Amino acid sequence: MTSHPTDTPQAPGSPAIKTRRFSVSLVWIVPIVAVLVGISLVVHSILQQGPTITLNFKTGSGLTANKTEVKYRNVVIGQVTDVALSDDQKSVNATVQLAKQAESFTRADSQFWVVRPRIGAGGVSGIDTLLSGDYIGADIGQSETRAKQFKGLENPPPITYGEPGKRFTLHTQTLGSLDIGSPVYYRKIEVGQVVAYELDAEGKGVNVEVFVHAPNDAYVTENTRFWNASGIDLSVGANGFALKTESLSSMLVGGIAFRAPPYSPNDKPADEARTFELFDDQDSALAPPNGEGQYMALRFDQALRGLKVGAPVEFLGVEFGKVVSINLDFDAKKRSFPLNVGIVIYPQLLGQAHTKLLKVMNHDPNDEAAGVQLIGSFIENGLRAQARSGNLLTGQLYIALDFYPKADKVKFDPSLRPVSIPTIPGNLEQLQEKLENIVNKINQLPIERIAGNLDSNLVELRKGLTQFNAKTLPGVQNTLADVSKTLQSASSTLAEDSPQREQLTQTLDELGRMSRSLRELSDYLGRHPESLIRGRPDNAAPLDLQGPPRK
Amino acid sequence: MANQLIICEHCDCVYEKVTLARHQKALCLRCAGVLQRYNGLSVQQRLALTLTAAVLWTFANFYPVMSISLQGLKSSATLWDSVVALSLGPITFIALVAAISIIIAPVFQLLLLMWVLSFALSGKRSPAFRLCMRWLEALRPWSMLEVCLLGAMVAVFKLAGMLDVIPGTGLFALAVLSLLLIRIAGRDVRDLWDTV
Repeated sequence: MTSHPTDTPQAPGSPAIKTRRFSVSLVWIVPIVAVLVGISLVVHSILQQGPTITLNFKTGSGLTANKTEVKYRNVVIGQVTDVALSDDQKSVNATVQLAKQAESFTRADSQFWVVRPRIGAGGVSGIDTLLSGDYIGADIGQSETRAKQFKGLENPPPITYGEPGKRFTLHTQTLGSLDIGSPVYYRKIEVGQVVAYELDAEGKGVNVEVFVHAPNDAYVTENTRFWNASGIDLSVGANGFALKTESLSSMLVGGIAFRAPPYSPNDKPADEARTFELFDDQDSALAPPNGEGQYMALRFDQALRGLKVGAPVEFLGVEFGKVVSINLDFDAKKRSFPLNVGIVIYPQLLGQAHTKLLKVMNHDPNDEAAGVQLIGSFIENGLRAQARSGNLLTGQLYIALDFYPKADKVKFDPSLRPVSIPTIPGNLEQLQEKLENIVNKINQLPIERIAGNLDSNLVELRKGLTQFNAKTLPGVQNTLADVSKTLQSASSTLAEDSPQREQLTQTLDELGRMSRSLRELSDYLGRHPESLIRGRPDNAAPLDLQGPPRK
Repeated sequence: MANQLIICEHCDCVYEKVTLARHQKALCLRCAGVLQRYNGLSVQQRLALTLTAAVLWTFANFYPVMSISLQGLKSSATLWDSVVALSLGPITFIALVAAISIIIAPVFQLLLLMWVLSFALSGKRSPAFRLCMRWLEALRPWSMLEVCLLGAMVAVFKLAGMLDVIPGTGLFALAVLSLLLIRIAGRDVRDLWDTV
């Protein structure tokens, strides 16, 4: 320092030093970064966290906290965070932490179910869960309201939302062998399935909901008929046996088929959620509609073996109804057991007869009293029901309505419901009656007396025969021997070498000679007629006939 | 000054303490054991790294170390899960050892360091300074995070052939934490005896 020359000898002043109170090293950036990273991770996971929902399942089978995932279209959208019994210990509550983007799964009608391996007649599903363990399947609902609590389904819904197609409701009497997932066929091609079923409001039928996938849902038209295609339909006809079935799986799990009748003009595709009738089989489905049925009561006095519920009711040979009930009754007055038979008839099945009748009678089909009046007038004219034998082999009966103008008059009670139609005994019964009469008459015949007379007659006959044998027969034998002798002599007379025959031949020869000489004589006389007077000249005759020369 | 002496821990030879510059270390003349290393960390830096380590410890314990999946079968485990898994095994005692060496010992180390260093930052000796310093020394052999890390790495590589192995956030946190612990809770903590 001193070696440097300076202009001013003044010593340099020392600057004021100010110490920062807090000296912060740069190293603090490291923990700050670490904390920031931590915060960002936490914030990220909080942002990723969607809503928490609770699913209520019957059992917790296959559900594991922090392991079971919730998947939609096989993409994980959440995880089960807790599995616990519900408060009433009747079900299991699974708490699910949904992902952020799965927020829409809180719509009130979203569906959740446990996917586990299922093997049924309709197919196999959920095989992948054999390895990965069960998971919860989810389906987004469409409702605008949100929910936190959901009821878990026991079975996966067959149709998920957003699947293109249409839902239809089918009304039927019984479910039969149908089940959720049963196929729906159109011309034997599987186009949909049963998605739900429930009893109708009054419990008198079943509403089956089916889903038909697009684009085949267009084939469900206003006119379409649905029928139960379950099982095997074996029919015997004039052409032999016919076996009908939709498919092997429909035989096992049931199925529904549909088709519009071949002639369906102006047919439009049916609207969504339309209700159809589900028929028992194809024939009844495609048959003309039955129209409204009318119940009637019949009362038979004779046994009706072979009459079954479902037996046809025919009017003049046209089937238009069936038997719905057969009940045995007790008649206190007559001390007998009549049979009450309930039938249902579908007047519309009579076709033109029905429509024309309505027109002529100026009758409104909905006016019940007038309809009953009409039936009353028919009965007046001899309408009677009769149980007839449809098949002599099996003895099955059917009910025939027919006009019997000679039938006994019956009083008709128009106030009775169901309308009662008088009956007459069946033709087999009538036959039986006649046979019985015959048998009775036979019974009345004095058979014993006849038999006694016959017996004594026979005794007489035997006596006669004995006499005949003893006396007449030997005479006959002698006569026969004589005849035989006569015949023998006759035959010997006529034999070739018999003397009589010889003589006869000679005689005949003589006759021939005689006729020759007669001819010659006549010839000679023709040539020499004078010889009759003059005698024969010598030269006149042939040489051999010339007499000895006259001398 | 008496506290300026240093004794070789291998052969008990006594030396005078020297101030070391960067990249320098003091060796024992007799046994060539390392007496001192250059300590580049100020108290403040050490405290900052300790806090970082504490954050990393949190990550390592609460985020899965790794997750494995096989055909949709999925499983992930945190450090605590591994301890629980061991405790369910036949030798429950091993679980205790594991818990101490990979979770409890490191967290105690970090807490003690934070306690001591935060006082040292203002030049004061913390309450129970001696106890803390002695415990720090005692815990060092029990803290075996690097062993755990190596074990986890071996598992990852071995399983990678058979399953889909996804290293989790916890594994990375664990790796950084074990390196940091070597740096901040090493033997040179004893310098605190002199500085405060």
